Amino acid sequence: MQHENEIKLEKQGDVTIMDIKGDITAFSDPFLNNAYQEANNQGTRKIILKSNKEAYINSGGIALLIQLLAQIKRNNQRVVIAGVSDHFKKIFNMVGITKFAPIYDTEEAALQILAAKPD
Amino acid sequence: MATNLNERLVKIILPNILGYERIAMASSASLAKMFGFSSERIEDLKTIVAEAAINAMQHGNKGRTDSEVAVTIRFKDNAIHVAVTDQGDGIAEVLPKPDIHRIMNKQDPPVGFGVFLIQELADGVEFNIDTDDGHCVNIVVKRESNQVEDAARK
Repeated sequence: MQHENEIKLEKQGDVTIMDIKGDITAFSDPFLNNAYQEANNQGTRKIILKSNKEAYINSGGIALLIQLLAQIKRNNQRVVIAGVSDHFKKIFNMVGITKFAPIYDTEEAALQILAAKPD
Repeated sequence: MATNLNERLVKIILPNILGYERIAMASSASLAKMFGFSSERIEDLKTIVAEAAINAMQHGNKGRTDSEVAVTIRFKDNAIHVAVTDQGDGIAEVLPKPDIHRIMNKQDPPVGFGVFLIQELADGVEFNIDTDDGHCVNIVVKRESNQVEDAARK
């Protein structure tokens, strides 16, 4: 069984989009960490965590996302989430993720919000 | 113990391998769809079944690859009744609701989300039931969500 993620980093102005392909589970740990470290090394201040509506996200993946948000917060970076399904919007709201990273339906909407607010 | 399977009851035996919870998720979703569950409720059910199976693999069977997880899914009284049975000693304690502020500040470990989601999304949960086949978690997911009823009352 494949447990790999491909995470593409894309710069849009001063925003880094972490485009996560695949499911987000405990197996995503090295992929998420490596991608974030690379974004961090590039000096990013604003991040969009982008998933897709078909992705399966379980409790192991939620734990990893929260740890990633904690790192982002400690580094005084801003983060939003884009592209998750309505079900996972509800789940992220239940566990409190949305208190630290608001969710937008599309990458474009997330970019607009990050561009509109000062660093 | 033998289970009398029929058009309203299916049973799946999973190897104790993370990732195979997807098989139980897909089966529960198919049965719920046959009995008219909405797509929103099916998504709830999939998360509940996945988290219960993961708990059974990791905490019930403690990751032992020679063990298995049995998932029975029954439609009865306008609800899906899920029973997830492992071959371990049961869960020592049901963890409290995770506190994201404490986790973000590294005061708590990032654990307890699976049980929390089951409790939030399901209409009834019983942990640590002793059966002839092992330790079992029983979960009820109504066709019409209590979340909808709760929201309507507000």
